[in-house]
Amino acid sequence: MLVSNQITKTSAGVPRVAVGILLGVLAFGVFIVGFDQGEILGFTVPADGSGGEPGTNWAHEFYHDMRHAAGFPCH
Amino acid sequence: MKTIIFIAITLLAGAIAGTILGAINQVAVEPYIDHAVELEMQNTNQSNQIINPAEFTAYRLWQRGGEMLAGTILGLSIGSLFGIVFAYTHNSVPGSNNKKKALIVAGIMWFVLFLIPALKYPANPPAVGDPETIYYRQSLYVAFLVISGFSALGLAFLYRKMGALNIKKAIIPAVYAAIISGAYLAMPANPDPINAPMDLVIGFRITSAITISMFWGLLGVIFGTFWDKLNPSKTARISVR
Ligand SMILES: [Zn+2]
Repeated sequence: MLVSNQITKTSAGVPRVAVGILLGVLAFGVFIVGFDQGEILGFTVPADGSGGEPGTNWAHEFYHDMRHAAGFPCH
Repeated sequence: MKTIIFIAITLLAGAIAGTILGAINQVAVEPYIDHAVELEMQNTNQSNQIINPAEFTAYRLWQRGGEMLAGTILGLSIGSLFGIVFAYTHNSVPGSNNKKKALIVAGIMWFVLFLIPALKYPANPPAVGDPETIYYRQSLYVAFLVISGFSALGLAFLYRKMGALNIKKAIIPAVYAAIISGAYLAMPANPDPINAPMDLVIGFRITSAITISMFWGLLGVIFGTFWDKLNPSKTARISVR
């Protein structure tokens, strides 16, 4: 006869790979929205063509209002 | 812990709360930003630069769309930090369910990462800052944020180490208050003079603080609800025969 025994285990460890991925998202997002002054995407043309030309720092302009609203320093 | 579910609920909760923030800001905060940008335009016009009004309206619409997307991105990233903190702390946080626990964690993070830095370096609408000082102001802001964040993190470890000692409930907050007061007094003020009307600046600060606070609350509630439903801290059932 087979005895079936189910164990439900609560693990205390937080998976490192998850922490790594989430820290990456954190750094990228906060930099783009809060701090980028054209270092990232500043050389590209806006996708919809309305925000300016290459070199005009359109990503900064695009995320600009939230930067102010979230309390990050801006112009 | 179920890695995929943990990452998924963290990102989803952050994205939802952040998108709601972006949407609410369209109504709540944008009128202040529009007003501030108008003032800037008037100043620019006086210095004889020609701006086409129709083009400018289209540009502002585009920028408002950007705020929605920026809300989602900001929500994703703050949500990620929140998820990590919650995963490490939820077993020690009081509360009968994870929604309550998540609200407590969100409240502490809101206090340490938003309210405290905002008291020293409050948000400003456009038309206030001097572009020349941006890197200096960013350094000040980050320094204060880092002091607040890392002292809270260090003290949280200490709090845990002190075990059943009841006095920790008084000592730990007092040490945090002492560090923050010291930093508050020692750090230089925002160097830029405020040339915009004060009621615009104050209105902007209060409104944006309310919407950001609401974002943190939403993040806690949504994340906690997902965690209660999907419980990623339980591993899969293992059948032993
Ligand atoms: Zn700005």
